[in-house]
Amino acid sequence: MHDTQKIFLQQINENKGIIHKVAKMYMDNPLDQEDLFQEIVMQLWKAYPSFKGTSKFSTWMYRVALNTAIVFFKKDHRKVDKASLNEQIEIADFSDSHEKEEKLAYLYKAVQELNQIEKALIFLFLENQSHREIAQNLGITEVNARVKLNRTKEKLQQIIKKNGYEF
Amino acid sequence: MNFDQLKDEWNNNNAQHQEISEDMLKIKEARTPIDKIRKQMKQEFMLQVVSLVLGAFVPKIFDFSMPLKSTYLIFYGIVVAFCTYYFYKFYRFYKHSYDLSIDSRKNLLWFYYEMKLNVELYKALTYIIGFIMISFCATALFLTKNDLLARILEKLSLTYIVLNAFITILIIGVLTELWARFYYGKHIKQIKVIIDSLDEE
Repeated sequence: MHDTQKIFLQQINENKGIIHKVAKMYMDNPLDQEDLFQEIVMQLWKAYPSFKGTSKFSTWMYRVALNTAIVFFKKDHRKVDKASLNEQIEIADFSDSHEKEEKLAYLYKAVQELNQIEKALIFLFLENQSHREIAQNLGITEVNARVKLNRTKEKLQQIIKKNGYEF
Repeated sequence: MNFDQLKDEWNNNNAQHQEISEDMLKIKEARTPIDKIRKQMKQEFMLQVVSLVLGAFVPKIFDFSMPLKSTYLIFYGIVVAFCTYYFYKFYRFYKHSYDLSIDSRKNLLWFYYEMKLNVELYKALTYIIGFIMISFCATALFLTKNDLLARILEKLSLTYIVLNAFITILIIGVLTELWARFYYGKHIKQIKVIIDSLDEE
């Protein structure tokens, strides 16, 4: 294995949670999530020569991962699961950690009703990015990023409420 | 709904994931819309090359007369010249790499205009080949005026012939547009919708 490949694999494994989260945000079907995950890994490897090390690896990774997810379209033959949130997520355990996982599972299902850009906005917000960083990543103005993020949060709240879950 | 609490839970969720291995870097072809279009164009390119090679044998297969053969070769040469020019353009598009580490807006605009430009080039080539073929058929009819078809043509009115040529061109246009929309249009449309959703409201 080349040194470059070794360094890349080390860096990507340290940040692989980002790719998993992006894949789950953008695809609801586990097979599509796997496809998108592989596509992001491949695109990161292809784009690796463009990483000059002037920013953090994770910052560069956010861009490539999101840009890949935004233009990635699932295979046509796979049917979109239209079942409601409650049918999708079995509420089996009410312990604290399970409640948190359940909450995130509801979040992942709810974001499927957002468009590609709204998903990116929510993802970057949850990843603790400031309005300025969100704007830079998406190539829009800071004001536009703030307005869009607020609207997307409201939309997400309504989706979650509509599906009978409140948190 | 408390977004700050949700954010904390999101960041504290450290689910264990499988290691990314060296093998994952070698897998399959890319699946961005531009890669799909490139793949489609590559298949069509192969088909067009085969058609061009077969086209060279048309005078022999149909036993063309000497004047008709010469005319055919002139038209064939023009078609080959146009195809070479466009194939070179498509080849450049095929080999051109993209940079996904730029911001999303620039990235989407690059995808959108690159795809649109190449689909337009593809359509232009189809129109050109279509028109050249029609022109050759018209010239062939003129050259073979003793043939049955030419005699039938003499009995038809000029308006009827012009109308027929117009409808034929229209059919080529509609088929090309439908073909391009079916194979490439949906990806361009999807990207356009995403670009629009980035705009200020």
